[in-house]
Amino acid sequence: MGKLAIVLASGELEKIQAASIIASVASTLGNEVIIFATMDGLMAFRKDIVEKKAWKTAGDLGKGMIEANVPLFIDTLKQAKEVGNLKLYACGMIMDMLRMKIDEFVDIFDDVVGVSAFLGMVEDAKVIFI
Amino acid sequence: MTMEAESDRVIDARGSYCPGPLMELIKAIKEEETGKIIEVWSSDESSAKDIPEWVKKAGHELIGVFKESDYWRIVVRKTK
Repeated sequence: MGKLAIVLASGELEKIQAASIIASVASTLGNEVIIFATMDGLMAFRKDIVEKKAWKTAGDLGKGMIEANVPLFIDTLKQAKEVGNLKLYACGMIMDMLRMKIDEFVDIFDDVVGVSAFLGMVEDAKVIFI
Repeated sequence: MTMEAESDRVIDARGSYCPGPLMELIKAIKEEETGKIIEVWSSDESSAKDIPEWVKKAGHELIGVFKESDYWRIVVRKTK
């Protein structure tokens, strides 16, 4: 099986949901999956935003997902980490810029890395940018 | 109700949507021993269609997908 990397730069719930489902299922089928959360994609993991379910949405679909009994990306990714080979990395540049600490985000990240470290990890991976 | 081998574990994931039922099944497969039969109930049709695809790719045995009144029972044997 292969190696899949997702650069999650969008903070829109619809995109994060799609990325998390694809990443999670791939990680349970023998693939090594890496998610690099950066820009608004990283902000979607902020504790205060997660608690209030205050994600940006592209439209009504995203709002409907929050209201419906849909497994949200945080839960899907946590489950995938338990049963699959999935690692999540937070972008260090954004955290430095905004003077944020990793404990301001939900407890799901394996590490905080910069772009060089990320590029090193994904040299042999298929990369999807969302 | 369709008769088949008795399941060792039943997961009721009715009311949840993709990928909820699948992720619950995967967790159960990880926890159970090889040879055990696990069935997952899903009211979500896309899960009923997609879970067999996962089972095939993961190399387990799909015993069957059984349509009940308003949900599906997807029955799987863990083979490895």
